[in-house]
Amino acid sequence: MLVRRRDLLAGAAAAAALPQSLSAQTKPRVTFISQWSSGSDGAAISGLGKRLEEEGGIWQHSPVPGFTTEMMNKLRADIIAGNPPAASQLKGPEIAVWSKIAPTVNLDPLVSAAGYEKLIPTELIGLHKPQGHWIALPMQVYRTTTLFMSRPAMKKVGADKAPKTWAEFNALATEMKKAGITPVANGGIRWDDGMKLEIALSGINCEAYRGALMKLDPKALKSAEMLQAFAQLRKFADWMDPAIAAQHYSVNLPKFLKGEMGMLMMGGWAQGVIKNLGGNLDDVLITSVPQDEGKPVFVLNADSMIFWARKEPDLAAGQQLLAKLMMQKDVQEKYSQTTGSIPVRTDVDLSGPAWTDGQREASAVLNDSFKSKRVLLSLAHNMAQTNPITAAMIDVLTEYVHNDKVTPEQGVARLAAAVDNARG
Amino acid sequence: MKGRLGRYLPLLVIWLPLLINAGHVVGFTAWTTWLSFTPSDLLPEYDWAGLRSYRSVLRSENTEVAYINLLIYSVGFVGLTTLVGFVLAVLIDQRIRAENLLRTIYLYPLAVSFVVTGTAWGWLFNPGLGIQKFARSLGWSDFRFDWITDRDFALYTIVFAAVWHAAGFAMALFLAGLRSIDPDLAKAAQIDGAGPVRYYLRIAAPGLAPIAISVLVILLQFAIKTFDLVRAMTGGGPGIATTLPALVVYDFMFQRGQLGRGSAAAVLLLLSLLLVLLPYYAYAQWRARKERAANE
Amino acid sequence: MNRLGGDTLRPLPRPGRWLLYAVLAAFAVFFLLPLVVVILNSFRTAQEIARTSVIGWPLGLAWQNYAEAWGGYCIAQRCEGIQPYMVNSFLLVIPATILSTALGAIAGYSISLWRFRGDTIVFAIVVMGVFLPEQMKLIPWALVLRELGLTNTIGALVLIHTVQGMSFTTLFCRNYYIGIPQDLLKAAKVDGAGYFRTFWRIILPLSPPILIVTVIWQFTGIWNEFLYGVTFTTGGQQPVTAALIAIATTPATDLVEYGIQSAAVLLAALPTLLVYFFGGRYFLRGLTAGAVK
Repeated sequence: MLVRRRDLLAGAAAAAALPQSLSAQTKPRVTFISQWSSGSDGAAISGLGKRLEEEGGIWQHSPVPGFTTEMMNKLRADIIAGNPPAASQLKGPEIAVWSKIAPTVNLDPLVSAAGYEKLIPTELIGLHKPQGHWIALPMQVYRTTTLFMSRPAMKKVGADKAPKTWAEFNALATEMKKAGITPVANGGIRWDDGMKLEIALSGINCEAYRGALMKLDPKALKSAEMLQAFAQLRKFADWMDPAIAAQHYSVNLPKFLKGEMGMLMMGGWAQGVIKNLGGNLDDVLITSVPQDEGKPVFVLNADSMIFWARKEPDLAAGQQLLAKLMMQKDVQEKYSQTTGSIPVRTDVDLSGPAWTDGQREASAVLNDSFKSKRVLLSLAHNMAQTNPITAAMIDVLTEYVHNDKVTPEQGVARLAAAVDNARG
Repeated sequence: MKGRLGRYLPLLVIWLPLLINAGHVVGFTAWTTWLSFTPSDLLPEYDWAGLRSYRSVLRSENTEVAYINLLIYSVGFVGLTTLVGFVLAVLIDQRIRAENLLRTIYLYPLAVSFVVTGTAWGWLFNPGLGIQKFARSLGWSDFRFDWITDRDFALYTIVFAAVWHAAGFAMALFLAGLRSIDPDLAKAAQIDGAGPVRYYLRIAAPGLAPIAISVLVILLQFAIKTFDLVRAMTGGGPGIATTLPALVVYDFMFQRGQLGRGSAAAVLLLLSLLLVLLPYYAYAQWRARKERAANE
Repeated sequence: MNRLGGDTLRPLPRPGRWLLYAVLAAFAVFFLLPLVVVILNSFRTAQEIARTSVIGWPLGLAWQNYAEAWGGYCIAQRCEGIQPYMVNSFLLVIPATILSTALGAIAGYSISLWRFRGDTIVFAIVVMGVFLPEQMKLIPWALVLRELGLTNTIGALVLIHTVQGMSFTTLFCRNYYIGIPQDLLKAAKVDGAGYFRTFWRIILPLSPPILIVTVIWQFTGIWNEFLYGVTFTTGGQQPVTAALIAIATTPATDLVEYGIQSAAVLLAALPTLLVYFFGGRYFLRGLTAGAVK
């Protein structure tokens, strides 16, 4: 009855490679678990499923009600039962962690056949090859460091362009506050609070971010840049609506579109939310968050799917088909058009009418940052660290945002302590 | 043949289900305790890691907030529910008309799941959606009822919703107790000229002591296990202001994928339960002994 | 079991009587508030609610919310509303309730009236089961279900709830049976009745009050449970609590369908509400008869 990790890993050592040839009757089949049961994510994954069926496969998607934790519980229960799905949603460093508990599929042959590695941002590659070969594929990319500005609010304070440094941002926010506009329209949920720190820090200094939040270097965690970031975070907290705690940022959008709230620092997905609420994207200026040194940074959030080793030939064939499709340009285009993200491949042309200005701008920044090595992984969206470390850090950050008695110095100290405790 | 079967069948019938249930209680508790001493993360591992998980859990910011919250929440929830339940029972006991209707109204929240309770009260407490918005739309533009977004007050909204859910149950138990008080006692009180207030406070209440203790224990274990309600109402927020030990267990085990620490948190929760149960057990033994002595 | 006071206690004077009813009414409002709000919302459209607040009078009777919730709403990619999930919940709750009640009655009977070696310890352990938090048992159950080959079935949930439910039901039944006068049992023994005959002839006919309490308690508890329901079943076999969670977790990109959510919540809560509505008085009677000591 005791499940020994050794027994599970015995299969992992021999990660499944190419399948045996399929008999003419058996159609490739994919069983898939995710949390994407509705909304644009649900529509996008269903679209992918339909494409799989058009190519002759069988698509069996069981979305798990709830959020990511419920999906991971289900995944873990299925793995314990010895019945993992053919593929499932999983992202960031968790791919490495979970790949140790169950055998996965080696996608190297397919990936090199498609010449895929050269086409995607380097930071992403490492996450999907934890043991040196591809076992997962990214599905879409979002930028978390997007600045949305309400044009009506800008008009009210006589601003005609977006702030380019934090000093300009702070000055503009002060103007807005004086004019009776709530400067920051972010929400009060955990990951939103975490995002605000990563936005502040990445805007202050790219390498400080890399050292502190991605490498967890103790010196970087206690550096002057970190202190500055916490001070900026305190300013954000003061400029938010005090009654917003624990609520999703979308409740602020009506006021934001009217000009009663000024600026929203959010991921690119907010475009879709604004559109669905019936908002007019012309009322919104979309750009990068302020950057104190050098060109804009791109803080990356990506959804991925991981492939679990199965002996059944129809599932193995289904996995090959799904992987091939996921790497194709047209599939990625359709996926990103549905959700408002950017395709993973950097060779996609976004000039057509199906793409929004926001997506074009983000994609340009991605390509630029890719070349100048200023792509970072999002902390708040579980890309930079594994779940336990992320959760411990966000505990500190969300507490800091909602408790103004914590000083920036204390915030920095608490964050470093939380990282130690979570790792120990 | 029948004789032998007749002798063993009852034993089988008695023991089999009991063993399965007792087995699962002992087995799961032992397994969790064992895991709390291992370095398990996503999946159970069985190597020894000493007190590492306990140290990590105890140093985690969650845990401290959770147990402080548990104290405040338990006192508030158990105290208020018992009080409201007792008052309602006394009131209903007054030979009122529409007793059936009122009793159903007070009792029905028990039928509603904690998830729905949390969701509905979450809507009502939401300042942008519920009571505050409604009052403001009526013209009362300074009305504030945003407890649920306030770090210091959010916990009380949870107490409120929990009392709403459980007060009917406390009322039912107290009412049952009131109705099983010896009628001769009531007659004697009336002969003595005791008014209703004196009756309830001096005579009925002491007779209800055993029931009150049962109510307290049942409510306390509700409080300690509270999970669905908080998740549905505030998700533990704002920040971590409304987190409770059961949520900390879930967070470590499933959100963070650290089974070792989650198990340690669970063991801590069980220990705090024991803190409540052992005194109750001692009390029950003492009362049983007293009764036996009285009957001799 | 006469009403306390009966005709003996002086009734309260007039003004006291008005105050009494006023207080009772105030409490009734407090208890009814969420229910009324949810009912009203189930007749409003999502746009209405988003525009005003969750407290409001419906502009018209949006019956389509109910139709959608019951049969058409897309939950996790199946567009059949909550109806199939309600069926699953019934398939789960009815056997689990019956089994756990029956087993609890027998166990309670054995422990209270037939002394046998180790009975106190076993009872203490069984009662401990009432206090174990759910989260802690999730992974052990996953392992057990794996061994039994029962993953992703309703049968798995029936097993879990029966085994766990026994803790409560045994506790209730044992406390009740302990109150059965010894003379009855002695008379039965003198007549030569053994274990089963005593149960059938004497205990069972006396049991309805406690059985009703147990059935109501178990039905409600199992119907409303969601953690195991979501983890140990998938897709079309999930109970209605999972469907409610799916409806409630609208992603940020969509308008929150408060109207349909309210209708779905009401429909899903209907069975337990009806149970308390019709069985409330028996529930009380059973408790009075000594379920809780």
